[in-house]
Amino acid sequence: MGYGRSDSYRVATTTEKDEKESPKKADTKAEKKIKDMDDLKKEVPLTEHKMSVEEVCQKYSTDIVQGLTNAKAAEYLARDGPNALTPPPTTPEWVKFCRQLFGGFSILLWTGAILCFLAYAIQAATEDEPAGDNLYLGIVLSAVVIITGCFSYFQEAKSSKIMESFKNMVPQQALVIREGEKMQINAEEVVAGDLVEVKGGDRIPADLRIVSSHGCKVDNSSLTGESEPQTRSPDCTHDNPLETRNVAFFSTNCVEGTARGIVVCTGDRTVMGRIATLTSGLESGKTPIAKEIEHFIHLITGVAVFLGITFFILAVCLGYTWLEAVIFLIGIIVANVPEGLLATVTVCLTLTAKRMARKNCLVKNLEAVETLGSTSTICSDKTGTLTQNRMTVAHMWFDNQIHEADTTEDQSGASFDKSSETWLALARVAALCNRAQFKAAQDQLPILKRDVAGDASESALLKCIELSCGSVKQMREKNKKVAEIPFNSTNKYQLSVHETENEEDNRYLLVMKGAPERILDRCSTILIQGKEQPMDEEMKDAFQNAYMELGGLGERVLGFCHLLMPEDQYPKGFAFDCDDVNFTTENLCFVGLMSMIDPPRAAVPDAVGKCRSAGIKVIMVTGDHPITAKAIAKGVGIISEGNETVEDIASRLNIPVSQVNPRDAKACVIHGTDLKDLSQEQMDDILRNHTEIVFARTSPQQKLIIVEGCQRQVRHTQTDGAIVAVTGDGVNDSPALKKADIGVAMGISGSDVSKQAADMILLDDNFASIVTGVEEGRLIFDNLKKSIAYTLTSNIPEITPFLFFILVNIPLPLGTITILCIDLGTDMVPAISLAYEAAESDIMKRQPRNPTRDKLVNERLISIAYGQIGMIQALGGFFSYFVILAENGFLPSLLVGIRLNWDDRSNNDLEDSYGQQWTYEQRKIVEYTCHTAFFVSIVVVQWADVIICKTRRNSVFQQGMRNKILIFGLFEETALAAFLSYTPGMDVALRMYPLKPSWWFCAFPYSFLIFVYDEIRKLILRRNPGGWVEKETYY
Amino acid sequence: METIMFFLISLPVYVAAEKDLSAEGGKETKAVDPFVYDYHSLRICGLVFAVVLFALGILLILSRKCRCSFNQEKEKPKAPGDEEATAENLIVSKAKEPEPEAKAEN
Repeated sequence: MGYGRSDSYRVATTTEKDEKESPKKADTKAEKKIKDMDDLKKEVPLTEHKMSVEEVCQKYSTDIVQGLTNAKAAEYLARDGPNALTPPPTTPEWVKFCRQLFGGFSILLWTGAILCFLAYAIQAATEDEPAGDNLYLGIVLSAVVIITGCFSYFQEAKSSKIMESFKNMVPQQALVIREGEKMQINAEEVVAGDLVEVKGGDRIPADLRIVSSHGCKVDNSSLTGESEPQTRSPDCTHDNPLETRNVAFFSTNCVEGTARGIVVCTGDRTVMGRIATLTSGLESGKTPIAKEIEHFIHLITGVAVFLGITFFILAVCLGYTWLEAVIFLIGIIVANVPEGLLATVTVCLTLTAKRMARKNCLVKNLEAVETLGSTSTICSDKTGTLTQNRMTVAHMWFDNQIHEADTTEDQSGASFDKSSETWLALARVAALCNRAQFKAAQDQLPILKRDVAGDASESALLKCIELSCGSVKQMREKNKKVAEIPFNSTNKYQLSVHETENEEDNRYLLVMKGAPERILDRCSTILIQGKEQPMDEEMKDAFQNAYMELGGLGERVLGFCHLLMPEDQYPKGFAFDCDDVNFTTENLCFVGLMSMIDPPRAAVPDAVGKCRSAGIKVIMVTGDHPITAKAIAKGVGIISEGNETVEDIASRLNIPVSQVNPRDAKACVIHGTDLKDLSQEQMDDILRNHTEIVFARTSPQQKLIIVEGCQRQVRHTQTDGAIVAVTGDGVNDSPALKKADIGVAMGISGSDVSKQAADMILLDDNFASIVTGVEEGRLIFDNLKKSIAYTLTSNIPEITPFLFFILVNIPLPLGTITILCIDLGTDMVPAISLAYEAAESDIMKRQPRNPTRDKLVNERLISIAYGQIGMIQALGGFFSYFVILAENGFLPSLLVGIRLNWDDRSNNDLEDSYGQQWTYEQRKIVEYTCHTAFFVSIVVVQWADVIICKTRRNSVFQQGMRNKILIFGLFEETALAAFLSYTPGMDVALRMYPLKPSWWFCAFPYSFLIFVYDEIRKLILRRNPGGWVEKETYY
Repeated sequence: METIMFFLISLPVYVAAEKDLSAEGGKETKAVDPFVYDYHSLRICGLVFAVVLFALGILLILSRKCRCSFNQEKEKPKAPGDEEATAENLIVSKAKEPEPEAKAEN
């Protein structure tokens, strides 16, 4: 797999070269056959942003004023198809069903069933009255697979139904200009070359090259991860199409303003479409648990075939005919198939999936339940996952002091001193010089949850003021706005003039906010403790320091100032002219700074800490700027306290970056543009040598490369790659989500594409829920081991009777029906109950499991289950068998070699050890009573087995018996055994007979022996960590 | 191997069988036919036993659901405060629901 991947990159780079040689041709022709995956992995091939508007018009033969002609539009529509994303090819329902029927474990059971039918066919062909056992067994096996298949199919169908509900079906409209007329059309009918108008609140209908714009801002967060809206203007500002200002992307949102643009790409050819296609084209590998089950099947098959062949040879040596030997062979192989295990595993996984769903982790694929448990690296997106995805005022600087605002989601954080006069002035400026406002009819909602019309930073200010100073609306009503200059990129400030609150006071209040350095330039005084003081050099230094400090935290800083305009120059009714500014905008009074950031979620730092103690590396991958990314990473503990990046060390030691040994820095922040130039080896080197990594400014394609890099990482010098989880919400994350071993999408803020690509969905968008997932995943892995150990153990007392029947010719001690009663009856509840077992030790304190070394089922587990406990169980079963036969007169010495006479229908006067004569029917009743007794004995020894399987290392006395489901299982198992034995009519239906009370107790000593034996084993294991016992028996 | 095992198994059988025989011999003096066993009352006793066990099991499960539904959660070794965290999450998720619209409209 690894080779294939690196190859694909090589191919990708060569095609890139080809394209550079003939860029013109590539534009139109290559776009059509772009489906090629390698092509898709490259960066976006847009070039229109570098062309002039005229060139773009020419290219699409459109007109900047009139738009396309209707005929042309129809032609393009026919050529390019509708402007919509091709939905990913959905697997038909019957294929999904078949996958459940024939996937993984089911194969083993199907093989068993086919072998059974084969054996029956052989018997039917050779014998006059073939025993129906093999036929029944085959039918039961098939039934088990089909029922379990249906169960897991419906289970998954349920989760996918929840998925369906996420889809929003609202048809999009677009305003296009064709033949000079504005018309509202369905967004699907938009074609390349169309002139489109968008306004605040619209969704961009296709990739647009902006030709004119009025204060247009778009929210690109679903594409790049930047939480701040970006301004759009007709000028090309960057070579990278994703960064330039003159392109607006399909399915992003226009937040405010209006813009007009020419459609350059539609449907799947858009940037968003390419990502979606890339995502659906990626193949995700097998889940770790599927690999484990495969390994388990190999082991089980190995044991079965070994036993089968051995006894086949033995049978031939003992003088059986070839056909008989073949039937024995098949019988032994089939007897090794644990019939109940498929159902047990499925139910255990389903239970965990349900438990996780209750804790807000919705698992789409049952097998993915365990994957988080073995995860060793989590690549997390920043926006919306680690952070709240809303700008919030984090710090303020006034009275020459930095104040910290409360950024927590529930306003539980500390508050700052609000008594200062300066703060009131600052709040007034921030409230008045602000165009954001709450949308109507939200009074009952808490302030932080209310919807705001306006850009992100202004809403942040609005909410901050509303929270600390009460209604902004009232404040604005008291201070009526007289004039306003909106923000623009040349001025870098926003200004408004208001009446004062005091009706007596006829002065006007000028308030201004903007880039701090610009604001400072216009100020001559500064407000300290409510008093105006002249702005001296000392104050300017203090301002610079505060500005630098807040900027260094990755926050967006705004400066605020105001001025009460002198009444003599600006009397009441003065006509303020905002276009031709006829009033002073100099010599203002500086009030303070406010800085905003998208703050981390409250639960994230704790969750990151837990991941770290669980040995999981958390990597941040974001489209946002490095400084912001680093600040958030430090805030949530992805870069832990005291760890420095290369740049930090350089600035601390005052030496150039190149002189720092990269090995000294545990943390590192990597810029997307640097990432582009890294070779695979360099990439591996970074991932290996730094424990705390932040990738910033990454494109979706790079996210994919990062995930693949992480998957390549080898842990503990093993050959298998690491298991990587990726979290993300945006469309830009979806290729990485799909590629990861487990993709985790966000349920609330996540885009549909990302949810489709993910294996798991966090319904509350909270990174902390991942920790729950990890915990549950690890727990179910341990508990599955226990469950499997329990189920496999009873295989030995089920096979040995048949082996002895062949070898020493005794009457059959245990029949097929009774075996099925154990596997599909009494063993089920206890095996499932082990899924409810609590963890033995703190599973979040240990390293993630090593996929090559820590197997679900290993040789040690088989050796314990088959070789040790299973053997004792078989002894117990045989003991009751011999007791019953002896009580009826057949002493063990007589039994050896009696089989042919015993099973002979015509022999109706077989003599026992005391000379009593037995008819065939009488003999059979005794035999079936033995079957029942053997069955009951297995139930009795399985009591002890389920208790010892509760723990792998601890004593039962340490673990306790708090698992009530398990106790319930013990009761039910026994009750079922009693029912089967005593219910009238069972002798006809299942050939089970009532047992004398004393026969129940035959296996008790063996049950006790099992318990003591395993307790001693575990005691030695605990006493000598790393000793022989641990190496050989700790599964 | 098999023969050794065979002996191991059969040894206690001999002992048990002999014991039983002597016991039955004792009964014979009380003029009870050792070859007739009261299977009818055995059946009833067995069934009663099974029903009692079954009922006990069901009671156990139901008691878990009614009284101590919290116990299961607490049994697991967990960091303190985890439960509050989940409660908080629930609140957040509920309150957060209107947000996607906000995003769309912004």
